[in-house]
Amino acid sequence: MSRLGGQVRTLLRDAVEVFRETPEIAQGLRDHLDRLDGPLRVAIAGQVKAGKSTLLNALVGERLAPTDAGECTRIVTWYRRGHRPRVSAHPLGGGPRQLRIDRVGGALRIDLEGLNPAHVERLVVDWPAQGLSDTILIDTPGIASLSADVSARANGFLAPDDEPSEADAVVYLMRHLHSADLRLLESFHDNGIARANPVNTIAVLSRADEIGVGRVDALMSAAKIARRYRTDPRLRRLCQGVVPVAGLLAETARSLHQQEFDALARMAVTSRDEVESALLSADRFVRYAGLGLLERFGLFGVRLSLALIRQGFGDPGRLAAELTRRSGVDELRAVFAAQFTQRRDLLKCRSALLAVDALLSRDSRPGTPVLRDDIERILAGAHEFTELRVLGALRSGAFDLTDHAADEAERLLGAGGAQPWSRLGLPADVGRDEQRAAVLDALARWQRQAENPLARKATVDVARVVVRSCEGMAADLAD
Amino acid sequence: MPPTAAELLDLAIRATTAYRREDLGERLAVARRRLLDPEVRVLVVGEFKQGKSMLVNSLVDAPVCPVDDDLATAVPTLVRHAPEPSVVLVGDDERQRRSVPIDQLAQHVSEAGNPGNREHLRHAEVGVPRAVLSGGLCIVDTPGVGGLDSAHGASTMAVLPTADAVILVSDAAQEYTAPELDFLRQAMKMCPTVLCVLTKTDLYPQWRRIAELNRGHLAAADVDADLIAVSSTLRQHAIRTNSQRLNEESGFPELISRLRNDILGQAAALADRSVANDVLSVTAQLSASMQAELAAYRDPNHAGDLIAELTRARTRADALRERSARWQQTLNDGVSDLIADIEYDLRDRMRHLLREAEEELERVDPATVDEEFTLWLHQRGAAAASANFVWAHQRAQWLARQVAEHFGDAGDQAMPDLDFHAPNATSSFEMPGAERFGLGQKVITGMRGGYGGTIMIGMLSTVAGLALLNPVSVAAGVLLGRKTVKDERKRMLQRRRSEAKVAARRFVDDLIFQVGKESRDLLRELQRTLRDHFTAYAKELSRSVQEALTAAQQAVNGDAGSRDGRIKDVTAELGRVDHLASLARGLGR
Repeated sequence: MSRLGGQVRTLLRDAVEVFRETPEIAQGLRDHLDRLDGPLRVAIAGQVKAGKSTLLNALVGERLAPTDAGECTRIVTWYRRGHRPRVSAHPLGGGPRQLRIDRVGGALRIDLEGLNPAHVERLVVDWPAQGLSDTILIDTPGIASLSADVSARANGFLAPDDEPSEADAVVYLMRHLHSADLRLLESFHDNGIARANPVNTIAVLSRADEIGVGRVDALMSAAKIARRYRTDPRLRRLCQGVVPVAGLLAETARSLHQQEFDALARMAVTSRDEVESALLSADRFVRYAGLGLLERFGLFGVRLSLALIRQGFGDPGRLAAELTRRSGVDELRAVFAAQFTQRRDLLKCRSALLAVDALLSRDSRPGTPVLRDDIERILAGAHEFTELRVLGALRSGAFDLTDHAADEAERLLGAGGAQPWSRLGLPADVGRDEQRAAVLDALARWQRQAENPLARKATVDVARVVVRSCEGMAADLAD
Repeated sequence: MPPTAAELLDLAIRATTAYRREDLGERLAVARRRLLDPEVRVLVVGEFKQGKSMLVNSLVDAPVCPVDDDLATAVPTLVRHAPEPSVVLVGDDERQRRSVPIDQLAQHVSEAGNPGNREHLRHAEVGVPRAVLSGGLCIVDTPGVGGLDSAHGASTMAVLPTADAVILVSDAAQEYTAPELDFLRQAMKMCPTVLCVLTKTDLYPQWRRIAELNRGHLAAADVDADLIAVSSTLRQHAIRTNSQRLNEESGFPELISRLRNDILGQAAALADRSVANDVLSVTAQLSASMQAELAAYRDPNHAGDLIAELTRARTRADALRERSARWQQTLNDGVSDLIADIEYDLRDRMRHLLREAEEELERVDPATVDEEFTLWLHQRGAAAASANFVWAHQRAQWLARQVAEHFGDAGDQAMPDLDFHAPNATSSFEMPGAERFGLGQKVITGMRGGYGGTIMIGMLSTVAGLALLNPVSVAAGVLLGRKTVKDERKRMLQRRRSEAKVAARRFVDDLIFQVGKESRDLLRELQRTLRDHFTAYAKELSRSVQEALTAAQQAVNGDAGSRDGRIKDVTAELGRVDHLASLARGLGR
C-alpha cells in the first residue's frame, strides 16, 4: 500500500472517531475503509441502447448481463467475483434477498420473484469469472429513457446531488456525441479533489460496427470519428480518451462456437452472388440462414467474418482472435488497464477523499476542522494529485509548449498509464537499465525547461511537476 | 367529367361578371391566384445521424444531400421539382440568392464545408427533374437536433409553421428516446400532419420489434401518426440493379404512396375544399336575389312579408358594415390582448433565460467558457423565441375563428388564409474580450502595492530607530505587493463576469426588442388582413341583400303581363347557379 493509501486510511479512521455518535455516518465511513481494500468499482453508463450490457459481457467474457433489442436494463446491477454464482436483490429499505438464477441459451435471466423493479435499489450478481477478478463492473440503466424513473435512477446513481458517486470510475458509452451525453459527462466532474479532472472517465464509441451502416470499412470510419472526438476540446476536458468498440463482435468472438464457424465457412465457399444478395438486408439474411447467426454477429459481423475466412482465417481460434482484435475491445482493455487498473489505489483514495469532503461540507462538529486540515495536507502532499491537476490543465490547453513537448509531458505525467515504461513511451518488456537511461534523459531535458528564464511561469510550473515525476521514477528504478 | 378546382373557379368568375357582381369576382380571383402556387412542404426532421439526408436522396433517387458517417447537415435543403437540375443558395436576407453548380452543394450545406453554418445561409434550394416531386411536393432536409454542432437545431422549429407535413426520422437501432418524443410533441403543435419513418431496417434484424415498441410509445403519448419502416440502402441497390422486388422490400413504395396520396392528396383536397367553400358562398349570394324575385312573382300575396324580412336582413347586414360592428370590437380587443400577452410571454421567457445565464456566469470564469456559453445562449434564445411564436400562432388562429363566428353560419365559409412567418432575430452575443494580465502589469501592480507597504512600515520603524529600508519594511512591502496582485486578479475576474453579464443582458434586450417588434408587426398585419377580409365580406353580404330586396320590390311593382316570362327566365338562371353550386359541392366532397 502506498503512502497515500496509508494517509487516507488514517483520515478515514479519524473521521470514524469524530462521527462515532452518528452510527449511520460512521458505518458509511467504515464502508469506505473496506472499499479501499476491495476491488475498483467501474460503472458502465450511457444513453438507452448504447450497448452497455453488451460491452459488459465482452469485458467479462461471458454472457452475464441480459441484452435485448428493446430497452432492457432497468435496475442498477453490480457484477462482482464470487466463488459460486449467486444473485441477490437489495430492496430500498430492507435486507438483501437471494434470487433464483436461470440460464437461457448461455444468457443469464434474473427473475425478480414479484419484486417491483422501482423498489429495488440494486441487484448484485456474484459470478466466478476471471474478468471480474480486480474490478466490480456496474451496469446502469440508460439516460434519456422514455420511462422517466429509469433515467432518474441512472442519474441518481452516477451523479447524486449531495454525495460522490458510488463508482470510482466510469466507462461512458455513446453512439454519437449527443448534447445529453456532454451534460452527463459534465456532471461527473468534481471541482474539489482533482480540480475538474477527467481522470475517472473513458468514453467509448459503442456499436462502432453500425456507424458506417454495416459496411466492411465501418470500423475504420469509427476510428476516424473517435480520433476527431479525441481532439474536440469540449470532450478532452471531460474524459481520458475515446475508444471505438464493436461490442457485439467482441462478445461473440469471446464465445465463438464450432457450429457457427462451420456455418460461416460453408457460406464463404458458396457462390458469392447468392451470399451477397442475402446480405443486402437483415430480413433477407434471416430467410437465408436463420436468425441465430445474425443475432450473434450482426450484419457487419457476418460480412467481416466471411471476408476473413476467404482471406484464410481457416479455424475458429484464428477467426475469433482476429474478430476480437478488430472489435477494438483489446484497445479498450489496454486503456482500461492503463487508466483504471494501474491507478486503482489513487482512484479509490480519490473516492474516499471526495466522500469525506462532501460529509464535512454538510456537517460540522468538534473535530471536523482538524479533518479538513488533514484533507488539505493530503491533497497538497500527494504528488499523484498534483500530477492529475497538471494533466487536467494541460488538456485544457493554454500553455506555450510545442505539441510534441505537451504530448511528452502528458505521457510522463501518466496520461497513458502509471507504469514507468508507459510514461517513458517504451514497450513493456524493456529492461531496467534502458528505462533508467530514458528517465535520466527526460529528467535532464525537463530540468532545462524548468530553468528556462524565458518561459512563462505556468509552463515552468508544469515542467517542475514533470521533473518531480521523473525524479520519482528515477528513484524507483535505481534500487 | 367533373371540373377541376381551377376550372370551377373560372366558371364562377364568369358567372359573377355576367350578374355584374365584380365584388364577388375579386374574392374568387384571389383564390385563383392562390391555386397557381400549390407547393406542399414536407419537413424531414429528427435527431442527428438517423439517416435523414440518406432518406431524402433515396426518395428522389439523386445524391442531392451530402451523406457522411460522421459530419452532419448544417443548412436546411429544399428539394423540389424542376425541369433542369439546379442549386440556389439563399442567404440571411431573402434577396441574397446565388446559383452554384450542383456538385458544389455539399461544400455549402454540410458541417464539413460550412461548419456551424458560418456562411450564414438560410437554406439551399435544389431542383431535380423527378416525377415523384411533381405536383408541388417539396421535401426539406433539416439539420438534426441534439447534436453538438447543430447550433441551428432550434431554428428547425421556426420553419415548422410553413410546413404542410412533418416526417420524423429515427433509426431502427433503438426505440424512441425522451428527447425525440418531446420534439415530436412540440412539432405537432405547429404542424399536425406527422408521418413517422423508421430507417436502416436492413441493418437490424429486430426492426419489427422496434417498430412495435415505437407504435406503442406513440399511442402512449397520444400521437396520431403512422409508422413506416424503410431501408435506404435497399432502395438504392434496387435502383442500381433495377429490381422491382428489392424496391418493394425497401419499403419506399409505401412511403412514396403515402407522400403522394395522403399528404399531397390531402393538401390538394384541402385546397379543393377551400375553393368549393368560396364558390358556394358566392353562389349563395348570387341566388339570394333571384330567389327573392321568384318568390315575389309566384306568391304576390305574401310579397309584403318577404319585403319586410329582407329589410330586416338588410339592417343586420348594414350593421355588420358599421365601424362599430361587434366583430370589429372582438377583433380590435382580441389583437390588443394578444399583443400584450405575447409580449409578456416573450419577456417572461427571456427573463428566465437571463437569470439562468447570470447564475451560470457567476459559477465560471467567462474567459474559459466563451464558445460554449455563446452557443448555449444563442440556442436557448432561439428556442424561447420560437416557443413564443408557436403560442402566438395558436392564439391568432383562435382569434380568427372568434371573429368569424359573428357572421353566423356563413362564417365558416369566410375564414381567410392566415399567412404566418416566424420572426427572424439577427442579434448575436459576443463575449467581451478578456483583459490580459501580463507580467509587466503584474510587476507594476505589485510594485505599487509593495511601495506603499514598505514606506508605511518603514516610517513606523524609523520611530524605533531603524532605517527606512529594513528587513521588516521590505518584507511588509513584498507581502502587500503580493496581496495587491492577488486582489487585482480577483477584481479582473469580477469585471469579466460583470461585463459578460452586461453583454448577455444586452443580447437578451436586443432579442426582446427585435422579436417583440417583429411579432407585433406580424399581429398588426394579421389584424389588417382579418379586418379587410371581413369588411369586404360584410360589404358583399350587404349588397346581396340589397339586390334581393330590389329584385323583390320590382317583382311586386312590375306588370302582370311580363310575369310569366320573367318567372321562366329567373328559374332558368337559378338553375344555372344551382348547377354551379352542385359542382362546387361535388369538388368539396
